[in-house]
Amino acid sequence: MPRSQLELLVLYQDIHLMLQEAEEEKIQFGFSVDGIDELKQAQEELAKNIDDRFLRTYERLKTRYRRAIAPVKNNICLGCFAKLPTSYSTKHHNEQMIFTCEHCGRMLYWIE
Amino acid sequence: MMTSINIVDFLKEEFFISRLEENSKETVLKELLQPLVHAGVINSESLVLETLIKRETLGSTGIGKGIAIPHCRTLAISNLYIVVGISTKGIDYQAIDRKHVHLFFLILAPPNEEESRYLPVLGKIVEIVRNSKIRRSLIKAKDYTSMINIIKKE
Repeated sequence: MPRSQLELLVLYQDIHLMLQEAEEEKIQFGFSVDGIDELKQAQEELAKNIDDRFLRTYERLKTRYRRAIAPVKNNICLGCFAKLPTSYSTKHHNEQMIFTCEHCGRMLYWIE
Repeated sequence: MMTSINIVDFLKEEFFISRLEENSKETVLKELLQPLVHAGVINSESLVLETLIKRETLGSTGIGKGIAIPHCRTLAISNLYIVVGISTKGIDYQAIDRKHVHLFFLILAPPNEEESRYLPVLGKIVEIVRNSKIRRSLIKAKDYTSMINIIKKE
């Protein structure tokens, strides 16, 4: 099943974090992380399926925040803990559109 | 840092699989996710599965001696969870020593986990399974209670 643009971005971000923690996993716990280049390549392949507009927004947010996409729970952005407008209806969550927090600007991913 | 984690607190009976049935890397990862899917704590099963598979690209989490610790952070989950699974026949998981894997600890955590328990939990599990006596006992554990008793003795 084709992924939504948001899911692709979430995976893209999760791979970022994986790459950031790879060295720590290797040094502290002895995990094999020989596939760093391969994983970076997989991330680049993934990026080809993400709309340039969303990718640019993601990269811009990454310069401000450690994570560009914030989870939403109980209609609260867990990036900045601002309450989101009720108009951010859950019916849109799986569509090919991306909501951003009005307060901090992070992209939003509903986890409820 | 590692000693402050009580791993038993994270090991729940509903997240224990005494007899894994699948026999390939991808299918066993999916099987390990099922208790979390049934508990309704995963936002997107396919997204989590894909993230776990991407983690395997980095390097096998089959750390050898019959043990695998598949793990990742994913936005599709809101708390730290561990699923334990045992396979008596063993699974070809492309472990670093190429031996079949009998004992799995699946660890998932959100990226924004406030208590920062993910890496300490990962470290604690690595520490537990490095002990050959405990490792052998855990692989033979028949049920959840046996597993907990073995780990409590550690």
